[in-house]
Amino acid sequence: MDTEQQSQQAQAGSEFEREPVPKNAQLGFKSFIGMYAGEHCAGTELMIGPLFVAAGASAFDLVVGLIVGNALAVLSWMFLCAPIATRARLTLYYQLEQICGRWLVILYNLANGVMFCFLAGAMVTVSATALGVWFKFPMPALNDLYPNSVGWVVAVAVMGGLIAIVAAYGYQTVAKFANIAAPWMVLVFLAFALIGLRQFITATGTEVSSASDVWTLCKTTIWKGGEPLPGQTKFTFWHVMFFAWFCNMAMHIGMSDLSVFRFAKKSWYGSASGTGMYVGHFMAWMAAAMLFAFQLHQTHPDQYMIDLLTEHTTGKYTQQSLEESSLTAELIGEAMEIENQLVAAGTIAEEDKKISVPTPLPGPLAHNAAGLVGLLCVIIAGWTTANPTIYRAGLAFQALAPKLSRFKVTLVTGAIATIAGMFPLIAMKLLGFVALYGLVLMPMGAVIFVDFWLIRKFGLQSNYAKLSGKSFNVAAFLAWFVTLVTAYILVKYAGVQIYFVSLPGWFVAAILYVVLSKLYQKKIRPAAA
Amino acid sequence: MRSILKIVSPLMLIALIAPSILFLAGRMELDQVKWIMLIATIAWFATATPVMWKDNGQTQQDDTATT
Repeated sequence: MDTEQQSQQAQAGSEFEREPVPKNAQLGFKSFIGMYAGEHCAGTELMIGPLFVAAGASAFDLVVGLIVGNALAVLSWMFLCAPIATRARLTLYYQLEQICGRWLVILYNLANGVMFCFLAGAMVTVSATALGVWFKFPMPALNDLYPNSVGWVVAVAVMGGLIAIVAAYGYQTVAKFANIAAPWMVLVFLAFALIGLRQFITATGTEVSSASDVWTLCKTTIWKGGEPLPGQTKFTFWHVMFFAWFCNMAMHIGMSDLSVFRFAKKSWYGSASGTGMYVGHFMAWMAAAMLFAFQLHQTHPDQYMIDLLTEHTTGKYTQQSLEESSLTAELIGEAMEIENQLVAAGTIAEEDKKISVPTPLPGPLAHNAAGLVGLLCVIIAGWTTANPTIYRAGLAFQALAPKLSRFKVTLVTGAIATIAGMFPLIAMKLLGFVALYGLVLMPMGAVIFVDFWLIRKFGLQSNYAKLSGKSFNVAAFLAWFVTLVTAYILVKYAGVQIYFVSLPGWFVAAILYVVLSKLYQKKIRPAAA
Repeated sequence: MRSILKIVSPLMLIALIAPSILFLAGRMELDQVKWIMLIATIAWFATATPVMWKDNGQTQQDDTATT
């Protein structure tokens, strides 16, 4: 990226907020490649990869699911988001304001800000796991909902507090530091994968002389598939594919990246998102997944679990076979079931249960692979991505109270994110949360798509709020709200998992917006336009 | 000075990744890998910061967050 382009991009967030980006401010393809590659190698990748292992994803499901899902995400940027961005050249907010009116945009901002806070909280959680390696306080477990130790609360408070203060005082400084850290971070993730692979080769004594040998190792040892860890949802090919596709749904189908691609000279620049997807959402996820898979492979049942399994299963296991066995979801599940039976029979008390589920903690995982550099990567990855997230959440909230200073709003937002980060629920259930984040903002993407391409074909008016002078487009609001209610009903009562509900949800939102606009829109005289 | 740093800093990235490639090939111990990665990390930030520390902070859009 040359100096002029950087300078132009530096102004991306602050200029042309209420006008189309002029030709002389448009950017070349290279600008988008660098930006996407850096942005999508975030702290949360260290959590998402291991959660695929916890969900029992097999090698084929993981590799092919990520290849296909990420390709669909890139295509969504190319064919849904970028074509509108390069034609209208407006920010998401200004485009939404013209369609939905100011008050509905404020409501959207609120939803956006809340989701950002929780996402930043997960990033703080990831960073705080690095402190646990140094200070040895008890860290949360995979199925924990609440903070489990004073040490954990203090670690998150310190980490989150620092991130919030720095974001409030020096957002720009951290953003500059993030640019320097980005190529380093990508290579540390790659090193995680290479080190993890060698550790598996050594631990299993596998002879590797071809790519086929590596694939066999992946299938039989690293990502064996099978049962998920207790408390986790089983991930198939379809789960992985839809997750990869919709992980950044808010950005492509949800149209948040209109604000980015309004600077693109051509709509095919949307393909630049491929760098982010295949560096961050393929390589980094696979690398982090490999680290957790190795932790599981190296962990063997302890004596308590061995006693439980040998005494309560008739000849299925022996002391020796269990000592030599790696810890698997099946063994943990079986041991937990035996414990539950013992509790039901009154043999042991509920509080005497000792079987726990292995937890993917980014700090210890990265430390085992790359030592101090691994820990630095966890802290910097969490910090540099939580920083803009807290800042953006602050911006979103500031729209509600424009008179409050940016400094105060960012501090309060950081405090909320820090409190959220103390609850391991969000980080440990990150797969579900990310799917929810995309789902909540997606209907507005459908509204923008329909409003831009289709609505005039139905004899209706696009940019209705602007033309009618209304500050709240009821049709757009109901399309958003009813879609979310429909998704909730599908998830809660029809057994559809949250990973799959966004696709039908988009069509529901699009159809509802057309139908409701038909009922809602009144004829506008040319003079009003 | 700046032009020297422009040449040296990418070399530090090569020094960062090379040990893990050697470890994969079975030519280096993990402890050595960790030390060399640490030195390369310090060297990268020391050499890249003066080159990359320009007024290009706000490169990310203000209304989305990444995962």
